[in-house]
Amino acid sequence: MLGLLKGMGVTLKNMTKKKVTYKYPDEPVKMPERFRGIQHFDPEKCIVCNQCARVCPTDCITLTGRKHPDPNKRGKIIDTYDINFEICILCDLCTEVCPTEAIVMTRNFELAAYSRDELFKDMEWLHDNNTKIRGGSQ
Amino acid sequence: MQAWMWLGPVIMLFVVLGFVTLAILFERKVIGWMQSRIGPNRVGPWGLFQTVADVLKLLLKEDIVPQKADETLFKLAPVIAFVPAFAVVAVLPFTDSLVFADIGVGLLYFIAISSITTIGILAGGWASNNKYALIGAMRSAAQMISYEIPLVMALVGVIMAAGTLNLSGIVEAQKEMWFIVPQFIGFVVFFIASLAELNRTPFDLPEAESELVAGYHVEYSGFRFAFFMLAEYVYVFAMSALTTVLFLGGWNPLFGFTFLPPLIWFLLKFSLIVFTLIWIRATLPRIRVDQLMQLGWKVLLPLALFNIFLSALLKEIPGIGSYY
Amino acid sequence: MLRTEEMLLNVGPQHPSTHGVFRLVITIDGETITEAKPVVGYLHRGTEKLAEDLTYTQIVPYTDRMDYLSAMTNNYIVVHAAETLMEVELPERAEFLRVIVMELNRIASHLVWFGTYLLDIGAMSPFLLAFREREQILDLFNDLCGARLTYNYMRIGGVKWDVPEGWLDQVRAFISNMREKLKEYEDLVAGNEIFLNRTRGIGVYSADEAIDYGLSGVNLRAAGVDWDLRRDRPYSVYDRFEFDVPVGKNGDLYDKFTCRMEEIRQSLRIVEQAVDQFPEGPVMAKVPRVIRVPEGEAYVQMESPRGELGCYLVSRGKDKPYRLKFRRPSFYNLQILPRLLKGENVANLVAILGGIDIVLGEVDA
Repeated sequence: MLGLLKGMGVTLKNMTKKKVTYKYPDEPVKMPERFRGIQHFDPEKCIVCNQCARVCPTDCITLTGRKHPDPNKRGKIIDTYDINFEICILCDLCTEVCPTEAIVMTRNFELAAYSRDELFKDMEWLHDNNTKIRGGSQ
Repeated sequence: MQAWMWLGPVIMLFVVLGFVTLAILFERKVIGWMQSRIGPNRVGPWGLFQTVADVLKLLLKEDIVPQKADETLFKLAPVIAFVPAFAVVAVLPFTDSLVFADIGVGLLYFIAISSITTIGILAGGWASNNKYALIGAMRSAAQMISYEIPLVMALVGVIMAAGTLNLSGIVEAQKEMWFIVPQFIGFVVFFIASLAELNRTPFDLPEAESELVAGYHVEYSGFRFAFFMLAEYVYVFAMSALTTVLFLGGWNPLFGFTFLPPLIWFLLKFSLIVFTLIWIRATLPRIRVDQLMQLGWKVLLPLALFNIFLSALLKEIPGIGSYY
Repeated sequence: MLRTEEMLLNVGPQHPSTHGVFRLVITIDGETITEAKPVVGYLHRGTEKLAEDLTYTQIVPYTDRMDYLSAMTNNYIVVHAAETLMEVELPERAEFLRVIVMELNRIASHLVWFGTYLLDIGAMSPFLLAFREREQILDLFNDLCGARLTYNYMRIGGVKWDVPEGWLDQVRAFISNMREKLKEYEDLVAGNEIFLNRTRGIGVYSADEAIDYGLSGVNLRAAGVDWDLRRDRPYSVYDRFEFDVPVGKNGDLYDKFTCRMEEIRQSLRIVEQAVDQFPEGPVMAKVPRVIRVPEGEAYVQMESPRGELGCYLVSRGKDKPYRLKFRRPSFYNLQILPRLLKGENVANLVAILGGIDIVLGEVDA
């Protein structure tokens, strides 16, 4: 009987304690600097080395490039860059291998959509996803 | 008089429905607080319309009758479960003037009518033609039968002391001393047995979510499910009121604080009981089915019988005999 | 004589207490179970086969998804296997960091067990209270590696991130907070008569049986076998820390409960020591950019929160493993279930199943 009462005491004590829940949709949750959210992509930095596509464990990155339009310059520029967020697991490996930091993580994480097609993000969308970039300002 | 006869019960129905709405919200809030959460807060200010929204949702849902179910019984079961729950409210005296049916055998009426609900639950579980529902219904029947006996036995002490089965009369008899003090054993047995009667934690075996998914109402959806829920919470209302009447002195004030009207006193005591029910639900794990039977037959029943003996014995002792 | 009939009852794969998509086909006589057949495989993703087609770096995020309640230990076992074959010398700081995160993960995992177990036997509050504390660990991990469940933290040759500023102080604060909260849990549950009645003497097996069924972890120790790989076959830097291994007596559910609670306490001790002795230095060893594991075979083992987690790696010298086999403790621990359930009450079913502490992601891999 004493054990039961002790337990009742614990719940009663917790009743007046501070609540720990977030008011999430009303107040955004602040994620830490290292948080692995949706990637931001900067086409100007990309050298089309294909390393991100190769390291991706789920093969969710597809990219194409073409020769630099300025014949005096060497290298390639990016043409299309798509990430399929249906299968992306946000593992951070693509940003880890990128030599020019063309692809970086952000702290945005809200990906919910009504259709699966909407989860297929192209270069433009990824470029516009430019808030809360890791390593950048807030 | 005629208008009152008709209007009274209708008003009472709305009072009870209002209570159920608030009780569910309050339960969720209190359990939330005890678990470091806020509880429902999205619908209306302070989440006040949460239950209303839930009921509306249930009303809008598709009414599903399983193909293999016994259709007549399946549809009838929620009604059988709910009607007695509301019928027992008739005899509850809230104050000396606010009582609908002041019948001589009020207590007996309450106990007798309330056990009909078991039939509704059993019928619902059986008619669903679902194994989980069947197990839940069987458990419920076994549980209700085993706990009805200690429940009634625990009340014998009160009846002996008050000398009447009339609920108003029992409250009158507690002018001097609430029965919770002289009849403490009776109160404990009654309270535990009433928890079991209400199918609430730690005796929520008929619906045991983690074992039987939802027990007897697995197959019920929409408004039929709402009726089972409603019956459950109306019983919470009725049982808490009954406990207040029988052991906490009904509308009698504490320490002679008569400046509060009797109805407020009644509500205060009543709320305390409801809060305790919720508090218990937030804390305790579920008891096992065989242990439940053992507790009922081997602990509560002997205790209740002992209480009858003790009361009879103490009644003969001069001085304190007047309290028994 | 009344004619009675046995009933076949399908528990799961959708059932609130099977902790995922686990199915049990039980035959019941009244409320007594006469036979129980576990059916697994609903969450099978073929991690081992997939791994054959992935580079070593790419396997690590996949292991996160096996035992999703303690992804750190899963990360560790695969990098540990590769490092063993490669004979990499790890920097001390990396080893310490690994031990800290693995032990924190053990605490988080046991907290989930505590909460869900109490939920199984009908108490609601412990679940949310345990998750309140677990949340602090997840926040720590979020600060450290940017994810709350799928950490992908360890790399061959070390760990991905060094500690952020002030992180170790947060860990210290967590340790003292957690010790207080453990007392609260024990007040709430351990003395509760209903809880004791539901766990004492339920699901008993002997030490010999435990060994015969290949149990490991708490399931083994609760039966009285004093065996903990952290102490008996030390890996990483576990030999530098002082800790006790809690051992039960009867192998009943209550022993499992006390063992797990005590393990949380011991893990806190290990983390505390590791934080105090935390060395300076790099967190990554010098490893080539493309990791090729030399030809050979290796079996490594470790104590995950659920038992002996093993990894058998066969390499043909390529950048991908030739064969990777995980010894997943949940899967092996589940073997004893039909034997334990026979003759038990239906109400004990969820308690016994919960006591084994399975994670379906790991059972089905």
